[in-house]
Amino acid sequence: MEAEIADKPSFAHIRVKLDPGDSIVAEADAMASMSSDIEMSTRWNGGFCSAILRRVFGGESLFVNEFTTRTGGSLVITQALPGDMDCFELDGNTMFLQPGAYIACEPTVKLGLGWAGFASLIGGEGLFRLKVSGTGKVWFGAYGGIFSRDIDEEYVIDTGHLVGYDPSISLKVGMSGGIFSSFFSGEGLVTRVKGPGKVYMQSRSIGGLAAWTNARMY
Amino acid sequence: MSTADQMPSDVQFEITQRPDFGLLSVQLADGQQIFAEPAAMASMTPNAHMKAGMKGGFKKTLGRMLGGESLIINTFTAQQGAAEVTFAPGTPGDVLHYHLDQNTLLLQRGAFLAYTDGVELTGKWQGAKGFFSGEGLVLLKASGAGDIFFNSYGAILEVDVTDEFIVDTSYIVAFEDTLDYRVTILEGMKVSSKIKSFFFGGEGLVCKFSGQGKIWIQTRAVNPFLSWIYPFRPTKNNN
Amino acid sequence: MQHEIQARPAATVLKVDLEQGESLTCEVGAMIAMSSGMTVETTSRQKGGKGGLMKGLKRMFSGENFFLNHFTAQNPDQSIYLGPTLMGDVIYHPLDNATLIVQGASWLASDPGIEVDASWQGFGKALFSGESMFWVKCSGTGDLFLNSFGAIYEVDVDGQYTVDSGHIVAFEETLQFKIGKAGKSLIGSFLGGEGLVCKFEGQGKLYCQSHNPPSFGKLLGPQLRPR
Repeated sequence: MEAEIADKPSFAHIRVKLDPGDSIVAEADAMASMSSDIEMSTRWNGGFCSAILRRVFGGESLFVNEFTTRTGGSLVITQALPGDMDCFELDGNTMFLQPGAYIACEPTVKLGLGWAGFASLIGGEGLFRLKVSGTGKVWFGAYGGIFSRDIDEEYVIDTGHLVGYDPSISLKVGMSGGIFSSFFSGEGLVTRVKGPGKVYMQSRSIGGLAAWTNARMY
Repeated sequence: MSTADQMPSDVQFEITQRPDFGLLSVQLADGQQIFAEPAAMASMTPNAHMKAGMKGGFKKTLGRMLGGESLIINTFTAQQGAAEVTFAPGTPGDVLHYHLDQNTLLLQRGAFLAYTDGVELTGKWQGAKGFFSGEGLVLLKASGAGDIFFNSYGAILEVDVTDEFIVDTSYIVAFEDTLDYRVTILEGMKVSSKIKSFFFGGEGLVCKFSGQGKIWIQTRAVNPFLSWIYPFRPTKNNN
Repeated sequence: MQHEIQARPAATVLKVDLEQGESLTCEVGAMIAMSSGMTVETTSRQKGGKGGLMKGLKRMFSGENFFLNHFTAQNPDQSIYLGPTLMGDVIYHPLDNATLIVQGASWLASDPGIEVDASWQGFGKALFSGESMFWVKCSGTGDLFLNSFGAIYEVDVDGQYTVDSGHIVAFEETLQFKIGKAGKSLIGSFLGGEGLVCKFEGQGKLYCQSHNPPSFGKLLGPQLRPR
């Protein structure tokens, strides 16, 4: 299988070429176009409970599409938001992704739902996070460009900008400034991450776009 | 590329993810400050102390209020060492740096992102209102000496005006105050501007620039976007 | 008419240089900036072939029509900058006595010599019910400019190719097509999240966009103030 991320960082999408017998697992709604020799089948996205939970809280659908081919073919996989995409390869390790950030993976990757903790919920990042483990490639995306920081101590991230992080990172909710400043600054509560480990962030947030749009709405 | 890219600066910064999702990263020296638009901060080191406040006192704040910006300007100060703050605007688009050296820049509301000490930001209201109480041409005036960072919706094009040039008001990001400008309705669009207003909620206004100076225009605008997203908004009946 | 496509690939803008007497047609709202020696005239086209004449204010604002501006250079060396509504790219596809079917929101501008017919109904009503998509049949000879939400990629169809409906930018009229379900079974398709897809057959050029405007709208929409 050949998979290439094209048009980074603005409208990243994956151009996939599958050899006979190859398959790729992708988020529902992610297929933009495909050649006629690609077959799409739908299967349950992991165990029953975690799939339901993911649907209700995590923003992922209950089902994923598995794209296979007997004779070989190509397809284009995309995301709903304009922005960047990146890929990492798991080798028995684990990564956490914000639920909306997952796009596709090789069939050998295990998808699960993790409890992100109340700090994550209060900090605006949701109650659940997606846990990817096993072996194989995982493609994830963002709204905006993806940038990362290798954290030793602590780092502050505004709501809506967190994309993914190493399991060694812990999350804590905090105020962006003093009490008055936190709420009058427009920043509110923020997520404080504690290292060591790597954190992936996005340079835009849907909340930021919604706020901008609402302010100008008629 | 813009000539603003080659200007000196008082603060160490980097603009990445250009030109579509521009992210401004500022490295503040111990004690150094930067003043920013509310909610613009994307991430920062914990020693970048943030304070919400009204910079410049009440009178200047009132001027800014008329300029359409909110009352609050956030101040970030590096304490106990150097600090990093990254800023992200709400829309996809670029971020540009301009160094003021006792000259004046006029900016559209919503275009200002951040500025450093030495820059004075005040509101200037250009009263040509449109059919709806929309934006008209609401300008901020930046003068003094220091750095100013402004953002766009879409990419930024720099145009050197030497004679006359017409820009739809929703696409103006910033311009040098050496230019003369006049807001008007484009001839021949008198009939259509009513239609346009209804569809896009905008005023169908254009700004005629003359003289010599630089204009920065953006390649996307809010009104067509509002019109496009309208059917996707939740309706009051079924929430 | 000379043109330049700038600020690619996501905030793309089209710059057109017109000689005295030349004209360009584009949708109302697309003009960003222009030199001062131009005049403009507005007309309208009916969407989706609803039939009958344009009557009354109510019909005008119902979304059944789309409005065109015709810019004409009165002086020599005029230029105009045009921008699409959404982030994305712009592509130049000149027509030479040919026909291209273009997704309504993807038509940016054309030479007045090209006929712009917004009443084409080849896909039927079922395809985009509720999402106000319409299709524009462009035919004749002259310059034509399209825009996309996302990156534009070209597919030279020779046999069969499937596209999720929201990803179609434009296609040559020589292609045949069938609207269908993506997966093997109805349930699989529906629950899998894939909507209707368009299976193109035959030979011809197809322009696709990497991103899907309704998917983006559905993600942002719920976070906005109700209407």
